[in-house]
Amino acid sequence: MALMKFICDTERCIACHGCVVACKEGNHVPVGINRRRVITINEGQPGERSISISCMHCSDPPCMAVCPAQAIYKRDDGIVLVNKDLCIGCGYCLLACPFGAPQFPKPGPFGARGVMDKCTFCAGGPAPTFSEKERRLYGQNRIAEGKVPLCAGMCATKALLAGDAEVISKIYAERVARRGSGLSPKIY
Amino acid sequence: MRRPLVGLVLVSMVLVWGTSAFSEILRGYGPASPTELFRQLAGVTLGDWPTRGREFIQLVPSFKRYFLAVILGVSGLFLLHFLIFGPKRFSRGEQLVPYYGAVTRLFHWIAALCFTCLFLSGLAVLFAKSLGAGSFVRTLRVLHLVAGFGFFGAIIPLFLIWWRDMLPASYDLSWFLSLGGYLSRKKEPVPAGKFNAGQKLWFWLATVGGVVMFYTGFYLYRFEAPVATLRTYLIIHNVLALILTAFFITHLYMTLFAVKGALKSMITGRKGLEEIKYLHPKFLEEVGP
Repeated sequence: MALMKFICDTERCIACHGCVVACKEGNHVPVGINRRRVITINEGQPGERSISISCMHCSDPPCMAVCPAQAIYKRDDGIVLVNKDLCIGCGYCLLACPFGAPQFPKPGPFGARGVMDKCTFCAGGPAPTFSEKERRLYGQNRIAEGKVPLCAGMCATKALLAGDAEVISKIYAERVARRGSGLSPKIY
Repeated sequence: MRRPLVGLVLVSMVLVWGTSAFSEILRGYGPASPTELFRQLAGVTLGDWPTRGREFIQLVPSFKRYFLAVILGVSGLFLLHFLIFGPKRFSRGEQLVPYYGAVTRLFHWIAALCFTCLFLSGLAVLFAKSLGAGSFVRTLRVLHLVAGFGFFGAIIPLFLIWWRDMLPASYDLSWFLSLGGYLSRKKEPVPAGKFNAGQKLWFWLATVGGVVMFYTGFYLYRFEAPVATLRTYLIIHNVLALILTAFFITHLYMTLFAVKGALKSMITGRKGLEEIKYLHPKFLEEVGP
């Protein structure tokens, strides 16, 4: 079985935020909530690099370990999803997540936290595939359509790779080998 | 024949050097190594997770076990106590002494109601899986919030009313050493003023601890602090809740089962003279018979 992963190539990412916008538009993510974000270090200085981060669909997800409602589950293909019918919005998952992936839209006027929302790898959710409920709660189900997630599909420099871990790590390894580390001593 | 060959070698060397230098320029000048780069990126994205995250994700699921152990353990202990020593009975007949004012009782009952809600809804969050999770527990979380504000509002007047009576006294240690005389069937006066040492401990935990619970809980509700701080707050909130749970069960047992008539005194505000003589003798010395 394939294991779905993201890889962001920091040598290619130009911080255009196209992935953030594509995800937000394509999945109708609520205002103020981004399932994906771009982080830039050394901005405007030598050594500026950017990385696009969302849920990394961990092999052993910490969020799943702490969830008291057992609302978070892992599919056979490694995609980690949240069941919004079970989620109680306690926020333990955000505290456990190393990447700050879980998001909490605030539906109430008093800022009461709603259920958790996060990157679904564009694989919808536990609701019936392509159903109205799935689209409304979780967004598109592009995996079921045989497409890559919106963010990776949108990425102009192809910095963001999404798919079977073996395939994309091979692509990345080839890229690294081809461009070199930049550190090798000059032999000529 | 030799010269063009040397020239060709020279030209190709310049070309190779030129393209590699050009690609250097395109790559930009940055940190020495990709490792250093990833270290920097990890510092921004992961924060203190690599050092403290593992403990956190091991500790949080085990809170469920701790709460179950405390609730069952403490209740079991008191059940055993009830079976062995039985309740203390005092006659409420001849003379009743005013003990709790009307305002005190009002705020005490507000606090009691709110604390019960907090206790149950807090447990509901931890044991969400067993309760079916979903909107039911989500509603209880809102109740937890409302009750939290209610409890905070009630403990402030209670603190102002009681703090003077709750200051530690010289005889409190001997009360603790004899465990308040609860480990015997005999009725003997115990060293205690208006409140015994156990009640004092419960008071300080519920008020000062209550403020800590309110503060940490408020941030856990708003989520407007760095995640590392929130992790610490969650652990403080849960550990303190564990201690408060143990004391809450003790308080319930004492008033409902161990001392007959204790509940009545918080409803009517008056205690029987015999009960005061045995359980709060120093109170009589202070006020006079």
